[in-house]
Amino acid sequence: MALPIKYSFRNALVRWRSTIATVLGIGLVVFVFVLLQSLAAGIEKSSGNTGDPRNVMIVRKGSTSESASLISRDNLREIRYFEEIARNEQGEAVISADVLVLVNLPRRDGTEANVLLRGVTARGMELRPQVELVAGRWFRPGMREIVVSAKLARRFANFDVGQSFRTGNSTFTVVGWLDGQGSAFDSECWLDADECRSVFERDMYSSFLARVPDAGAMSNLIARIESDRRFKLKAESEVEYYRSQTMTAAPIRWLGGFLAITMSIGAVFAAMNTMYAAVGARTREIGTLRVLGYRRRSVVIALLLEGAMLALVGGVVGCVAAYQWNGYTTATMGFETFSEIVFQFAVTPPLVAQGLVFAVVVGIMGTLLPAIRASRLPVIEALKAI
Amino acid sequence: MTLGTFIIKNALRNKRRATLSILSVAVSLFLLVMLQVALRELTNPINDEGSSLRIIVRNKVSLAQPLPRRQLQVIERIQGVAAVSPFTFYGGLYKGDEKFTSFAQFAVDPERCPLLISDAKIPKEQYEAWVADRTSCILGRLTAERFGLKVGDRMQFTGQIYPADLEFMVAGIYHGTADDRNLMFHQSYLDESLGNPGTVGTWWVRAASIDEAPMVTERINNAFANSSAEVRAESERAFVLGFVSMWANIKTLITGISVVVVFALLLVTVSTMSMAIRERFRELAILKALGFRRRELFAFILAESCGLAMAGALIGAGGAWVVFHSIDIQKATNGLFILFEVTPQMMGLAFAVATALGVLSSVGPMLAVARTSVVQGLRTLD
Repeated sequence: MALPIKYSFRNALVRWRSTIATVLGIGLVVFVFVLLQSLAAGIEKSSGNTGDPRNVMIVRKGSTSESASLISRDNLREIRYFEEIARNEQGEAVISADVLVLVNLPRRDGTEANVLLRGVTARGMELRPQVELVAGRWFRPGMREIVVSAKLARRFANFDVGQSFRTGNSTFTVVGWLDGQGSAFDSECWLDADECRSVFERDMYSSFLARVPDAGAMSNLIARIESDRRFKLKAESEVEYYRSQTMTAAPIRWLGGFLAITMSIGAVFAAMNTMYAAVGARTREIGTLRVLGYRRRSVVIALLLEGAMLALVGGVVGCVAAYQWNGYTTATMGFETFSEIVFQFAVTPPLVAQGLVFAVVVGIMGTLLPAIRASRLPVIEALKAI
Repeated sequence: MTLGTFIIKNALRNKRRATLSILSVAVSLFLLVMLQVALRELTNPINDEGSSLRIIVRNKVSLAQPLPRRQLQVIERIQGVAAVSPFTFYGGLYKGDEKFTSFAQFAVDPERCPLLISDAKIPKEQYEAWVADRTSCILGRLTAERFGLKVGDRMQFTGQIYPADLEFMVAGIYHGTADDRNLMFHQSYLDESLGNPGTVGTWWVRAASIDEAPMVTERINNAFANSSAEVRAESERAFVLGFVSMWANIKTLITGISVVVVFALLLVTVSTMSMAIRERFRELAILKALGFRRRELFAFILAESCGLAMAGALIGAGGAWVVFHSIDIQKATNGLFILFEVTPQMMGLAFAVATALGVLSSVGPMLAVARTSVVQGLRTLD
């Protein structure tokens, strides 16, 4: 015969002081775990949300990112005649050659960080429909004008519309803010490609982005570029390219996992302490239950349920606390681009589920030994206990 | 029975609880010390003998922007410059590297290297062999051990930043620097593979004396002001701190986590301690009836909770100290962390936290004892 769930529930309520301490203790562990994982998830979400499935990204073979890639003009002259690439109404190939430059600029708090500038062509802008203007206007080529990401503008000095900053012997005026809708473009500043090349003395391009009419053309184009020995280029779908740019998330995930495990060891000790005390205080009660005919198994299950319930409440508290950060924008240095990347904390449903399961496991592990001890109490002795 | 043994006996009466409390404090303090160590490692550049003299010159635009080779002659002539060499981060992928190099490779001028990296120790004949062979390199001890490389072996790299795949012959293995992982090779070899672009990554400069170093930094900056390639010269320390600042919010993050850990710890210990006292409420009432003063009862409670917290601190923080001193952290983390040193301040912090814990967790029980009269206490059953 099983003990009613109410029994476990009301027991936890009776000793509310230690219950609250246990719940909060487990809650904090889950909070740290979910929060760190949500940072990693945010980085992955922002990369996974970038690119157009109809685009092919071409970089130099061996380069792991666009910003570390160098491609010559000659390659562009050849590739633009490939028939796999889509044509516009004028019959021109829809391909854009961009140049990326890292620039060290002051943040609003006085520290410095690298910012990714993208010298982009008009066609390159059409190829990236995710990016839209949210303030000011687009840059005019040759006027030393630049459009910065609205999310970067909140972090960097002189990034308000109308302000200007100096780099590479030129003074750039910020004429607008762009928004990449949660994509990796939120960590970029855009200016005219040719102007960018002349200011930063670059004869080489960083990457090509080409539109293909259909999936067949995409795989053909990728195969053709990869197999052509003249080029030494790597082609892949733009979506795939960005999806793999998540190296920055790995150490954060690792840290989150490590802290969760270490802290949960402490939490298991704490839960054990509480439950041993709970069992000790109820020795006579447990003896009575056994006399009434409840089996050892029922006692163990009732106590495990009590522990799991406490932990689950703790898990919910931790997840709710972590959820307060959901969508909050933060930034760090991206490993691939070597520049400041902005992203949002993403407390996703799988993370919440992981946090709750994690809490329940901690609760059950902390309760198991005390529960077994309770079930093994000799009935007569237990009844005599005061 | 003296008062001391009375307190100890009381604390250990419930051995299981005492052990569990001590262990949960120990785990948390271990974590606290470890986070502090990691934070220090990430935010505090290593200082060795040469680093106070070294000045790093990069393009003002950013580290990724190259510098023209012609700057060499100008820097050489600046007053207070003892030596200058190009230092170009090649960033090649070695076998097994998928995306990231696991150690850095720098193109340098081998003739000036001994002055710039004065800590490095290398057999004389190996150094001379390196200078003589343009396609050879020298390798840090840690990397050599990791890949089982010895003098005479060949290494192949895929250029990640530069469009040049290079092959080197290992001419020598050095040790003695703060970070024995890097590979050094001839700048002229890189230049040739790239078709002599006439650029370098950064310049490393050695100042003639520590006093002069700040002036030298300023002179270099001024020398290229308003030129087509303006530079940022800074001390090695400032350069490394610049990297740290790019990590943005990581310091806040780790500090925040440390606070959460301490807070969780506080909750647990407070709850355990009050549990222990509640359990023997009647005993305390008897002691009171026997004529023990309230003050003395407070002392019992305080001594017991502080004792447990201190035992936890000894195991946790002391354990961290022993562990991080005895393991070779460079090897264990593959060079991610180099020193991983527990400083006296961190131990101080851990013990201060433990003391605070002991005091705070005795407050609740003390109040309860103070509020209850003897008769009430004697009536309590559990």
